[in-house]
Amino acid sequence: MQLDARTIDDFKADRKGITPPLPTILRLVPILLYCSIAVTVLLVSLFLVQYRMATQKRDGHLLQAKTLLGQKDASRNDRSALEIRIKKATDVKSWVAGSRQLQPLIMEITRSMAPKSTIMDLRLERDAASPAQLNLAPRLGPDTTNQLDTTLERMATQKYRVLSPEQQLGRGELAYRATLIRQEPDRQPEAPLPPAPKP
Amino acid sequence: MTNKQIACLFVVVLILGMLYAVVWAKGLSDKRQIEADDAQRQETDAQSQLDRERLQLAELRRQSADDIQFLETWQPFFETIDTAQSAEVNYTMLVKESSLVNLSQRFEQSGTKNPSVATVLRAYLTFEDDYVRLMNWMGDLETKLPTVRISNVHLTKGTRASDIRMELTLEHPLLKK
Repeated sequence: MQLDARTIDDFKADRKGITPPLPTILRLVPILLYCSIAVTVLLVSLFLVQYRMATQKRDGHLLQAKTLLGQKDASRNDRSALEIRIKKATDVKSWVAGSRQLQPLIMEITRSMAPKSTIMDLRLERDAASPAQLNLAPRLGPDTTNQLDTTLERMATQKYRVLSPEQQLGRGELAYRATLIRQEPDRQPEAPLPPAPKP
Repeated sequence: MTNKQIACLFVVVLILGMLYAVVWAKGLSDKRQIEADDAQRQETDAQSQLDRERLQLAELRRQSADDIQFLETWQPFFETIDTAQSAEVNYTMLVKESSLVNLSQRFEQSGTKNPSVATVLRAYLTFEDDYVRLMNWMGDLETKLPTVRISNVHLTKGTRASDIRMELTLEHPLLKK
């Protein structure tokens, strides 16, 4: 025998303590929870992936920056070393410019002497402040006519220019004094022959 | 509060917790992104500094090429005799080998104003011999030792007709190492 459900319900006694059902809107709460879980998992995963990629990017850039700074320091050290070498080269150049050979100049002076003239005394000194300059002081005699001009002409072949000349004519002798400057001060001296091996 | 309300509240708190986690993860990611951007800027700066430094170095190399070439040419000559003792022995030997009449010789070490050639060995030599031999010896000396500086020459007549008296002051450079 089948009974109508409503009829059966009618047999139920009223139960006390049963809470009223939630409002309809609150039935969305579980759906919201599941959606929140899904979105949270998705977003947190996305942000963690971004975080990891940014970490790799940061570490890569920092490493590269460190390498570049190391290269910059090496380059700066090279520049400092080069500046020291340039200073040394300038000093060496200055020394070499003040070490030009004097023998050819002395030879030209002595060869310029006419048969009746003699060099009584010849002094050639390098200037203490500027060694490339020479202080020349010959004493010529006894026949000094035109001798000085001839000597100066011969000296000019050695590319020296005469500055501040002074001459004093005495009894049968001519005292001359002048500063000699190389006419090509910027010219680099020719490189000499290779040095002998060290003993 | 009913159980259902407590459950709803729990769910809301849970959702808020998840929201906080999302915000936290976003903040972490953003912060790291900022650090990455900073690191990239540092790299760019370092690259530009390196480029500038290399440019300066290349420019300096270009400008100083002649000077460096000059130094490389001459440095071996300075290093051939680089101590005062060896220079003194060398000059003594040169004088002896020449068989010239050497009236006196004296050596002393002194300083200079040139920072790279801070010290020189100064030799004071006096000869009286044949003019040709003396001039040849002087020429040989200046060729063999191109870095030596003759700072003073004084020539006067010798006792014999072909002789001259020559007083020389030589400065041998001792290049700073």
